[in-house]
Amino acid sequence: MAGDRDSTFAWRNAGVRRSVVWLVVLTVACLLVGFLWLPSVHADFRADGLWASICRAAGVPTSWSGGDATTTAEKKPTTDVVLERAMARGGTSDAIGRGATLALNCTMCHGARGVSQSNAPNLAGQYSEVVVKQLNDYRSGHRKSSIMEGLAKAMSARDVEDLGAYYASLPKARTAPTTYGEALPALVRVGDPLRNIAPCISCHGGVDQKLGAPWIEGMPKDYLVAQLAAFKSGERRNDSEAQMRNMVRAMTAKEIDEVAAFYARKAAGE
Amino acid sequence: MSRASKLVLAHFWVAFVGFAGALVLGAWQMYIRSPLAAWINNPEHYYRSVTAHGTVMAYVLPTLVAMGFGYAICELALKRPLVGVKWGWAGFWLVIAGTVVAAVTMAVGKASVLYTFYPPMLASPFYYLGVVLVVVGSWIWVALMVINLRAWRKDNPGATIPLAMFGNLAGAYLWAWTSVGAAVEVLVLILPASLGLTDTINAGLARVLFSWTLHAIVYFWLMPTYIAFYTLVPRAIGGRLYSDTMGRVAFVLFLVFSMPIGIHHLFADPQVGAGFKFVHAAMTAMVSVPTLLTVFTIVASVEIAGRLRGGKGAFGWVRALPWDNPMMLAVAFSFVMLGFGGAGGLVNMSYQLNETIHNTQWVTGHFHLIFGGAIVIMYFMIAYELWPQLTGCAPLSAKLIRTQLWLWFVGMLVLSMPWHLVGLLGMPRRMAYYDYSHPDLQPQAWTVVVSTFGGLILLASGLLLVYILATAKKRGSAAEVPRFTFSRAAHPGAPTPAALNGFGLWIAMMIGLTLVNYGFPIVQLASLKDAYVQVVPIGSR
Repeated sequence: MAGDRDSTFAWRNAGVRRSVVWLVVLTVACLLVGFLWLPSVHADFRADGLWASICRAAGVPTSWSGGDATTTAEKKPTTDVVLERAMARGGTSDAIGRGATLALNCTMCHGARGVSQSNAPNLAGQYSEVVVKQLNDYRSGHRKSSIMEGLAKAMSARDVEDLGAYYASLPKARTAPTTYGEALPALVRVGDPLRNIAPCISCHGGVDQKLGAPWIEGMPKDYLVAQLAAFKSGERRNDSEAQMRNMVRAMTAKEIDEVAAFYARKAAGE
Repeated sequence: MSRASKLVLAHFWVAFVGFAGALVLGAWQMYIRSPLAAWINNPEHYYRSVTAHGTVMAYVLPTLVAMGFGYAICELALKRPLVGVKWGWAGFWLVIAGTVVAAVTMAVGKASVLYTFYPPMLASPFYYLGVVLVVVGSWIWVALMVINLRAWRKDNPGATIPLAMFGNLAGAYLWAWTSVGAAVEVLVLILPASLGLTDTINAGLARVLFSWTLHAIVYFWLMPTYIAFYTLVPRAIGGRLYSDTMGRVAFVLFLVFSMPIGIHHLFADPQVGAGFKFVHAAMTAMVSVPTLLTVFTIVASVEIAGRLRGGKGAFGWVRALPWDNPMMLAVAFSFVMLGFGGAGGLVNMSYQLNETIHNTQWVTGHFHLIFGGAIVIMYFMIAYELWPQLTGCAPLSAKLIRTQLWLWFVGMLVLSMPWHLVGLLGMPRRMAYYDYSHPDLQPQAWTVVVSTFGGLILLASGLLLVYILATAKKRGSAAEVPRFTFSRAAHPGAPTPAALNGFGLWIAMMIGLTLVNYGFPIVQLASLKDAYVQVVPIGSR
């Protein structure tokens, strides 16, 4: 190929010369139109002058030029907890044992083995990262509850982790074996694509179980209804990506009741 | 052909068996989503199927066909044994290993991320490792193509590279540079996150890097088809290639303009600047140049055949064409689908028209028509052309081949035209489920039924393809397989410009233009903290 390279690369070769010149002209013309001409006909692009309009066309964030810095990062966060996959790993037996001792404080509402007899949520078998996140949100005040905020504030970071490990180690409260047939509420199975509502089972188990999404089968119905209503009204907002608020916003009270009744359904004979 | 026969045959068989399997999945997807079937109530099964269908159709089938055809061209066009057959087998087994690893991961539901695997969705690392193995296997092919051309040039100093080999090398270089985008995305961003080493991923950068591969890859898929247009069609129908030089111009234009245009897939992405979107849109328009040159050249070549057969007048030559020749039928079908698909593509690539159809079924219709239709129908013809050389079988049944081509053509139009229509009406793509009881959707339900029938016709055609190839030997062996030839140019021996007898200039332009069009967006996004988002592992629990 060495012999040929001389001729293909040689500037004296008219074909090479023409090709290179044409490509450069084409590229420069495209750049001029895309970065100068088109932005110049948009008032918002040209508002801050030529250089700013070129930068904007290039996609440079305004924060780079010290301009408008009120980006999403400065909005008040709705939670301080960053979910990490490490949080979902099972705890050591030490952590579970310590968590079991601490959990004696919780039995009044959440049941002796994490299965509630009242309308407090079941914690048996709950994913550890869920318990950790919610307790931390209570500690920081991002989730409201006159009882839980006070209790959580008294806990250390290690207490929180150990409680998560303990409850994750208990067997889950299950509803009757679920096959996803037509008998189930449509919102659980398929959501409502036209209203941008994803199916419950795509995050809460069934199709997929996403990190940070709680196990909700067998939860008390009143608890589920209250939480969905709180997400809908925006009273509860510690879902970091607004995923629950966005799902519930379009749901009617009847639909909330229906999905809550489905998840609260207990196994026959339980 | 001797040394490479088994190698080429292995590539084609795996490609078409995978293809048949993926067709079954595609037909099932259409059926289960249509009003004809009760919904399975588990979107994950649907997405698992889409992932497998797309992975096989987009990565495994075209890569193996390009590789197999490339090895065949090396022996047939350069008229010498393939150098590095053992390495060829190593590449083949890497592709097989990668396919198996990815297939098992998909089958157990650990990789339902669709074949574009856009972050922050993350599959099991085995899926990505499988895809990487397929790509690494294909890189061995790239190296072998370069080595074989060098060896030939050493022995034939100053000779003009045969057009088929020239196109083959353009495809190889194109693929080598194209695959770099997704390779970097997978190795630098996705695998560390998928292995659990990081909890966040730069989704904006990942999408830009994938777009680098995503659009140019379609020209890699297209290369075997264009090589067939130029070097097989005129010979098979008894014509002459109108211009050998035009073929070379088309191939090098693809090399230069395929790459720096992928951002037209990201028109709706806020992380890329409008200026770059415009530049990529304008350069995408440039790709229509080699396609129009090809259509012109091939129609002119076909006209030569018509006139040689006694056709007269402005259109009389069309009637005189050998319409019972499968190649004639295939190229006509391919051009019709290329026409519709190309026209639709002009909508996709325009910055503003795209707004109306972005992420709708229109897009699905577009790439099925142009890739599954115009390109893949020529893959069939490549296999039919090579089969007697590879297996020593008697000539294949023209009648069965014509039936298979008709089914494919009709099936593809029946499948994809309704998608274009509902895409204009706003039906989103990649939906596992349509609620036909909804008054807004009910009037569109019939289109999904029609597409389902299109899918079934395509499945029948695909199975017929496998049947024809599998029973070729049973129909009898040829006493003597005729020597394989490529098209002769209308003006054989016309001088080829030096620049079109090598790749140095065009590769320099390809890399230079990629850096101009992609350099800034990549550097900017790589340094942007806001672009990192939390990963969403799929099926990990």
